[in-house]
Amino acid sequence: MTNTEIEQQTEEVVHVPVADYKMVTFSLGGKDYGVNIMDVKEIAKFSNFTYVPNTAPYVRGVYNLRGEIISIIDLRIMFNLPAAQKSVNQGENGLVLRSENGLVGVIVDSIDRVVAISSESIQPPHPIFGDINIKYISGVVEHEERLYIILDSKRIFWKEDEVSDAPEPPGTAAVEAQDSAVPAPVETGDFLAEGLAVVASFHVTGVNKVWYAQRRKDWTEQHGETQLAEPSEAADFLAPFYSPATDHLWPEAYAGAFADSLETDTSTIVNVLNPGCGAGYESYSIACALAMRYPEKQIKVWAIENDLLKVSSAPDIVVDAESAEHFAPFLTDGKRGRTFSPAIRDSILFEYGDIRNVSGLPPMDAVVMRDVVSFFPERTQERIFELIDEIVKPGGLVVLGSNEQPVNNDDLTEVVDEDFVAYRKRKDRQEPS
Amino acid sequence: MRVEYINPFVESAYNVLKEVLKSDVKRGELFLKSTSMPVLGVAAIVGLAGDVEGRVLFDMTADTATKVASAMLESMDMEPVDSLNEMARATITELANMITGQAVTKLHNLNFKFDLTPPAIFTGENMEITNPDVEALIVPIEVPMGKIEINVAVRERN
Repeated sequence: MTNTEIEQQTEEVVHVPVADYKMVTFSLGGKDYGVNIMDVKEIAKFSNFTYVPNTAPYVRGVYNLRGEIISIIDLRIMFNLPAAQKSVNQGENGLVLRSENGLVGVIVDSIDRVVAISSESIQPPHPIFGDINIKYISGVVEHEERLYIILDSKRIFWKEDEVSDAPEPPGTAAVEAQDSAVPAPVETGDFLAEGLAVVASFHVTGVNKVWYAQRRKDWTEQHGETQLAEPSEAADFLAPFYSPATDHLWPEAYAGAFADSLETDTSTIVNVLNPGCGAGYESYSIACALAMRYPEKQIKVWAIENDLLKVSSAPDIVVDAESAEHFAPFLTDGKRGRTFSPAIRDSILFEYGDIRNVSGLPPMDAVVMRDVVSFFPERTQERIFELIDEIVKPGGLVVLGSNEQPVNNDDLTEVVDEDFVAYRKRKDRQEPS
Repeated sequence: MRVEYINPFVESAYNVLKEVLKSDVKRGELFLKSTSMPVLGVAAIVGLAGDVEGRVLFDMTADTATKVASAMLESMDMEPVDSLNEMARATITELANMITGQAVTKLHNLNFKFDLTPPAIFTGENMEITNPDVEALIVPIEVPMGKIEINVAVRERN
């Protein structure tokens, strides 16, 4: 047993859970569900409600609740669960929920009871939950050996337009929908962050929040609390974000620090993944830095970019001799100017592709993705980090932008060499069995 | 997909279509797709082997396929077709072969070694194609008879 496991156990012994969350439980299609009691106005039996034509199939009609007209929604139909047909006179079991748009009645199979639990025992939903779209689930909790799925009534009723959409196709599309359904943890009303997301597709998350907080302060002192509506404004805001030597060859010191920080193993090939390689300056810098440091090894840089315009010129890049002076041994004179030697060019594979779809790559000695993850929504950022975690060798290097940090990852330790900052993956990590 | 492969496919699709249809051909914005995608109705597929593994798929509706085949046949003084019969299918297969062949020739000149498999044609409704693990490059091409989508999915052999 490791130390952390013992710590966790002792923590559980001393910790007394407080039953601070009450939920009304009910069953749908034979499974147990719950909603926060604060969202429930009352438990009711609906009968004689009036059918309304031309509505979504899960809208059963309207109902007169002591003089107030409320809509009745059948949760079983909404979630594609089997619904027992009842005769007309028989009432339907249901709940009246409070929502922002007034009261809404929901029909369920049967109401169970009120259960008090500790809100700490609520676990986040697992993404493979099948029956109900994960965006409607706020958590899962076990109580007296029964597993309750807690529905988020706000999500269900506030986003009617999304609910009526057809079931999402599997794969990326579904993931993208989740991306949009889960807002980034930005303070509500932070127009700057919202503007950045819309105009520059820059997403403020744990990856860049340290830089953002400082930049926001400086920006509002100069410009006031304005919204970023124009791409040019967003570009001004983001100008200090970019790492040194973006869209240029790396200076000698930076390239050297990168090669120094890399710890290669006994294999004869050094593999580096370079997502978001742009016009290729970064990829060439990596290849040259490594070729200089490891002349006996074969260098392979996998450069991926989703902007076709930028990457299409990358294989035939022309550099000015001055900025590439320190890479001089790897330059030749081509027809159009100074270019990289065939050996360097052959070591880089430029691909038009999306980092989210990479597959079939060998384990990497390093991943260089400066100022890349910040331009994806939070969910995608998490997926990219998972992917990087899988693909980087133990002891391998992860290079992020100079204003970015990895989130929730204890396996990455910081490596600093003057201007150069990177993260090294733990070597002794136990692979989860 | 490797950057060097993109242009040969785009160029040869454009050139061949322009030549055989003798009409205006417009190229749409290229994009990437990794999930399964619906096939419009007629899909001609050519496999690629050699330095890479993958395939090229030419996707269009049955109506577009019939009209394109007719235009090609007429330009060679042959009878046009009014439905997707054997002649029409053979013509579309030949179109797929011409485009892929020209692209592969261009790639050979750039020192990439590709081999082709004989084209096959699929027709039907509600078809989908899935290439797990390979991103597909979509080249949408507008011709007067409708839209032809060229879907290239290749990856390097490691």
